[in-house]
Amino acid sequence: MLKGNIKADLAAIVGRENFTDARIDMVSYGRDAMGAVGNPECAIWVENTEHIMKIMELATREKIPVTCRAAGTGIAGMAVPTHGGIVMDIMKMDRILEINTEDRVAVVEPGVVYADLQSELDKVGFTLPTEPGSSAASTIGGNVATNAGGLRSAKYGTTKDYVLGLKVVLADGRVMNTGTRTMKTSSGYNLTQLFVGSEGTLGIFTEIILKIVPQPKATTTLLALFDRLEDAGRAVCQTMSAGVIPSVMEVMGRYLIQAINENTDLHLPDTDTMLLVETDGYTQTDADAQMEKVIEIFKTNRATGVQRANTPEERANLWAARKSTYPVSARLNNSLIVEDVTVPMSKLADLYREFTKIIDKYDLKVAMCSHAGDGNFHPLIAYDRRNPEEVENVEKANAELFKLAISLGGTISGEHGIGIFKADYMSLEHDPASMDVMRTIKRALDPHNILNPGKMALDKD
Amino acid sequence: MAKKYQFQEQFEDQVLRCVSCGFCQPVCPVYGLTRRPALNARGKMLLLQEVMEGRFELDEDLVETLFQCTGCASCVNSCPSGVNVPEVIQAARRDMVGVGTCHPVFDGMNRVLKTADNIYKESEPPEYLEGRKLNEPAEYIYFVGCVGAYREEEATEKTLGLLDHLKVDYTLIHEVCCAGVLEEVGYAANLDKASQIIDRVKAVGAETIITGCPYCYRTFTNRPQYSGFGESGIKVIHIAQFLPKHDFGVTSDLKVTYHDPCDLGRHCGIYQEPRDTIKKIAPDYVEMKHHHAMSLCCGAGGGVRGAFPSNSLNMARRRLAEAEAAGADVVLTECNSCVHNLSNAKLRRQNIEVFTTAQFISLLLDSRS
Repeated sequence: MLKGNIKADLAAIVGRENFTDARIDMVSYGRDAMGAVGNPECAIWVENTEHIMKIMELATREKIPVTCRAAGTGIAGMAVPTHGGIVMDIMKMDRILEINTEDRVAVVEPGVVYADLQSELDKVGFTLPTEPGSSAASTIGGNVATNAGGLRSAKYGTTKDYVLGLKVVLADGRVMNTGTRTMKTSSGYNLTQLFVGSEGTLGIFTEIILKIVPQPKATTTLLALFDRLEDAGRAVCQTMSAGVIPSVMEVMGRYLIQAINENTDLHLPDTDTMLLVETDGYTQTDADAQMEKVIEIFKTNRATGVQRANTPEERANLWAARKSTYPVSARLNNSLIVEDVTVPMSKLADLYREFTKIIDKYDLKVAMCSHAGDGNFHPLIAYDRRNPEEVENVEKANAELFKLAISLGGTISGEHGIGIFKADYMSLEHDPASMDVMRTIKRALDPHNILNPGKMALDKD
Repeated sequence: MAKKYQFQEQFEDQVLRCVSCGFCQPVCPVYGLTRRPALNARGKMLLLQEVMEGRFELDEDLVETLFQCTGCASCVNSCPSGVNVPEVIQAARRDMVGVGTCHPVFDGMNRVLKTADNIYKESEPPEYLEGRKLNEPAEYIYFVGCVGAYREEEATEKTLGLLDHLKVDYTLIHEVCCAGVLEEVGYAANLDKASQIIDRVKAVGAETIITGCPYCYRTFTNRPQYSGFGESGIKVIHIAQFLPKHDFGVTSDLKVTYHDPCDLGRHCGIYQEPRDTIKKIAPDYVEMKHHHAMSLCCGAGGGVRGAFPSNSLNMARRRLAEAEAAGADVVLTECNSCVHNLSNAKLRRQNIEVFTTAQFISLLLDSRS
């Protein structure tokens, strides 16, 4: 329980207007985007590195938990405090400090929304190609803290591939700089990559140095239809090993297609599975040639139809279908869970097939969606959170899904992170030595366990 | 079992349907200014869920959030779950007023409108009435609205001057407040005001009301207490819909941008007509970063200018910063409330001008002659 004088000390550091312990604020700060419920005692808005350093010095001295929060669009509970203490809201640190196309670098504060950065990069023909599904709302800080992926990860990788360096405030209030603004370095431990995906448990970012890349000049977009999800999975796998790497390969399953047709005017074809594919290149000829290869492979994998976008409007329509996935799924019931297990490409078809059996067993309504191009599966499970039986079935199906993914050589999270919701499954994926090393690192950097305690199974033995 | 609050009876499903995705956050003008999640649509829905589950009451603690919403509907535009947050909030406000908890400014406004003609309690007739038809037969009625009459008289004078120049056969009427704002802030519709306006409009015999106020336009076209217009075959249009068919014979070299008022744009879908007019008279036209359905609210709506004046002004400052970033010399808009808030928010160093489109055209005509 935070004492009154601590609250006064916090307000003195960040300014009275940047401190709150009002009930209405504690409700928001105790929630994220997927139903995690936490117990913050107060919240502060920080405006610069110095604020954060002083707060962490105080927190270390007084042993107070600090949970860093950006947009709060995370879906595994990482931004929600489970041990009371302080929520540190970094959203006022929202400046794009530099965009340098010669160095191919952008430097941002953690509260910069992805879409706002991309909008500035559009002006100079560059991109940060990760494009998470939450791009309109999530921040670079949050993306780095969770190693977010996105629609183009199959070709362009995830956030970690674009973080060159960080300014980090440690648990004890010291500030350090990791990495570099050069395109490569082999100087000392790769501390940057230690912090990427650390979900606020090792340090707090105050500046992020990103690699940016030129935008591709041309794209070709296609919709392919399949009678079975498995066939689409196999088609994707063969494509990726045929010398062509499409920038986008998104699978959508039957229930999702039906839901889209019921809730929009998109009139998608009646089929079991759809695959949205995009290739990109420096010239249209290049992009088209890659797509020809993709079509050839699809046809040998029982694609029942292919529909190319020949105009920007047709492309926009195909994308509208994919982008409506979350909105449409969110309307199916009052609650939605999205998982993101990822498996080796060769196991994608097996994953689809076996998961279909799981959801049939538990009679669940699941919109199947997948960043198939990198083996990342996103079942969107719609359910009624007021029905205890349904809640229990969802939990059981999830547990079986994690076990299935691990049995196929996969991971329990491709891009959303661990937080609270997947902490119990960490030992399913990571051997005892790995978990011990993670906990050792955590203890070394945060001996009092004040940075986002209770997450990622780091507290457990 | 009966629910404790009325908003639950009508909107429990919607409140539950909020999946807390946070997509409403980056588009909310109040959140954009304050960075306080409790004030954003998601934060409000989370609080209403707490109320529904009995952990909160609709008490004083909630006034600061549930009564601080400009009603801009950006959240509705971005919500993947189809939650109509402004409607839910209005219902919750009715409950709050019902239990005697509301913002004092809105309580004051409700009381003022029981006796005064307008929200400002002004009784002097505006100067622009001089020399103009008042309550007389004409093809059109021009309905000004409270803000245009008593806070942006110059803009109104210029607008009427433009109608005079175009030789439009219009009359003004002795106005009272359309009172649309009352239902938005939890109070019952003021039926007296509605029947006064309808009677005065009918007495004149005009077939069409042109209004310069998007909020009056919305109120007249959507609220049941004004169904008398439609039943009598009286059409209501906004001046932005009236101007495109005219030519003005003037142009400006200035770089001009257009601010979509929330009440005209997102709420009524009127985006193109204002632009058609503006591009005729100001060919050097630029859009701001947020435009059309993504337009950033000026911060005046939903009673926020009266109830949370400092935040309201700072929201307007953020919008002006977008106009500056676009390199505009002039911001045009179709709402006197937006003009008022944006003009008041100008910093001394800012030379950018803010006008309604009609006012701007009128000024161009003045400088030509």
